Amino acid sequence: MSYLDPRTKLVMVLTVSSLAVLITNLYLLILVQIIAVATVTAAGGSILDMLKKLKKFLLIFVVIVFVQSIFTKGGQPLWQVMNFTIISDLGLFRGLQMILRFFIIISSASIMTTSTPREIIQGLVQCKIPYEMAFMVTIAIRFLPILRDEANDILTAIQLRGINLRQIPLLKRLKTYSYLLMPMITSVLLKAQELSIAMELRAFRAYPQRTSLRVLKMQRLDYLVMAVCILVFLIIMVLALKIK
Amino acid sequence: MIPIEVKNLSFQYAKDARKILHNLELTVATGEIVAIVGLSGIGKSTLCYCLSGIIPHVYGGVMEGQVYLNGRDTRDLTLPQIATTLGIVFQNPDNQLFSFTVEDEVAFGPENLCLPPEEIEHRITDALKKVGMSEFRHANPQQLSGGQRQLIALASVLSLQPEILIFDEAMSQIDRDGRKLILDMMLKLKAEGRTIVMIEHDFANLAVADRVLVLKDGHLAPFAGKLS
Amino acid sequence: MIVLENVSFQYTKDRWILKQVDLEIENGSCTFIVGPNGGGKTTLSKLMAGILKPTSGDVYLDQQNTKDLELYQVGTKVGYLFQEPERQIFAATVKDELAFVMDLKEMAQEEIRKRVEAALEQFQLQEVANSFPFQLSRGEKQRLALAAILMNEPSFLILDEPTTGLDRERKKILSQLIEQLKEQGIGMVIISHDEKFIQTHADRVVKVAGGEVKDGG
Repeated sequence: MSYLDPRTKLVMVLTVSSLAVLITNLYLLILVQIIAVATVTAAGGSILDMLKKLKKFLLIFVVIVFVQSIFTKGGQPLWQVMNFTIISDLGLFRGLQMILRFFIIISSASIMTTSTPREIIQGLVQCKIPYEMAFMVTIAIRFLPILRDEANDILTAIQLRGINLRQIPLLKRLKTYSYLLMPMITSVLLKAQELSIAMELRAFRAYPQRTSLRVLKMQRLDYLVMAVCILVFLIIMVLALKIK
Repeated sequence: MIPIEVKNLSFQYAKDARKILHNLELTVATGEIVAIVGLSGIGKSTLCYCLSGIIPHVYGGVMEGQVYLNGRDTRDLTLPQIATTLGIVFQNPDNQLFSFTVEDEVAFGPENLCLPPEEIEHRITDALKKVGMSEFRHANPQQLSGGQRQLIALASVLSLQPEILIFDEAMSQIDRDGRKLILDMMLKLKAEGRTIVMIEHDFANLAVADRVLVLKDGHLAPFAGKLS
Repeated sequence: MIVLENVSFQYTKDRWILKQVDLEIENGSCTFIVGPNGGGKTTLSKLMAGILKPTSGDVYLDQQNTKDLELYQVGTKVGYLFQEPERQIFAATVKDELAFVMDLKEMAQEEIRKRVEAALEQFQLQEVANSFPFQLSRGEKQRLALAAILMNEPSFLILDEPTTGLDRERKKILSQLIEQLKEQGIGMVIISHDEKFIQTHADRVVKVAGGEVKDGG
């Protein structure tokens, strides 16, 4: 499905994630989740990768269930300690609801990873987003790993000076960390300056528009998929209203 | 037409008390390779910025005298006009390349000029062939060696078809094999009739130059010492 | 002394950067690491400095396994000069750059002042003592980074391509410093592809290519 237009994929993501936000019924949410997983799989994304991403949030999910149970009035207690409700059915329900919403949004977003950054940006430009802004995004994505490597080196360098970052007295911690800002900021400024000169000298912003080597064109399949998205959206919304 | 003609050029950065360039004169003929050497901090990069119109178009400061590219004062040219006359390869490949594929990188300039896709396609093929990197067209520039990345930086400038090329310490961050690639390329470009100015501090790279000039006390003088 | 025993290293599962390297570097000598870009030179040097830990095998710094050493402990044994000096300059003035670690450790001000003065002199930085490090030339930034590292009094120094971006004059100053440090008994490992520089200083040259290390004598 990587031959789908990135704009079509964007519509898919928007459909699924807006459903996740709008719907409250647990069963319908589960249905949306199934749709999301099916779409991602069809798009060539991996469910396993998705689960791995979600593992990081596991603790938050557990906390949500407890918090919802303790602070939501009403509902039958499922687990009580000395007359104090720790988990109630309503809390569990609300917790699950939030978790599902979260899960749906994150998993649907992974549809976008089946396009290259270049395609996505071209898609944005063709959606009338100014190209300067699109390039800002490209450059941010492109330089992030480099900046991360640099940050690693900087952290290493300050520790090699004999500073134990794990055991600094609280008062000095702020001062120590302020020293890290200096190399980070100079590096970003220097890069930005050199890069912008290099770009200007290759005629960047010569005209308000620019042409593109690759132009995205919607195929029949794209329109079909978009139509299905809208249909699915409407059906589920109608169902949601009926169930209420 | 004289590709580069600098007359009585002086420049002073806004916050600086002294003139970093002072009554500088330079004429470079078509098909010539001129090397400019000098200590770091002496104004080589500033001269580079003046030749390429970054001064006065991007950087402020007090600029006196004239820089003519093909007979036209850089003050009267816009940066995009300059970009099609003169291209620069800078020192650090990482800070010149920003695309995810070689193809996109080389396409960037022609796209900015609003050329039609067929022409862009043509220029990419041409530029990559010239630097001998055609087979890397769909590669990610970050996965290439330092020398190869400089060749891509060169190709992405060549796609704008400039007659003048400036190499601003372009070999200082690459290994011996990479340096050889770039030096060979310079001779090839010269043979095509392009004009080259190379800013250098490594004397080992100067053998390709027709003339070597030293930047000192704000102006240029013929280099008199030994090269190695 | 730095000892590498059967050291292998990989960043990702399917690609070895270094394979089964055995190497010993003695104090007071100057060893150069040469080889093509991407051949594993920087990785090897970071393993020696305990910045990276080997995937298998062991690295010993003065008989201590780097696996048991924290970075802040390594700093007093080995100094590491990154290729880009900007990455290891932290303070707003040259003087403060040399002093701030001692400040954080609450050393006596008089002692700090004395040490800073001595370093400024040795590394020819007196004229710029109160400057903003960002505005220094590359050579000055590098000398500042080197001076700051040596405040820790390490017995070893690892320099990653120190001649990059230096002109003739600055290279000369760096050469003098290297000879001085050698006389002080500091062992050095230098990554470089500057042939003249290697000829001037090398006691030993080690070639790294394709994950393998060969002693060049």
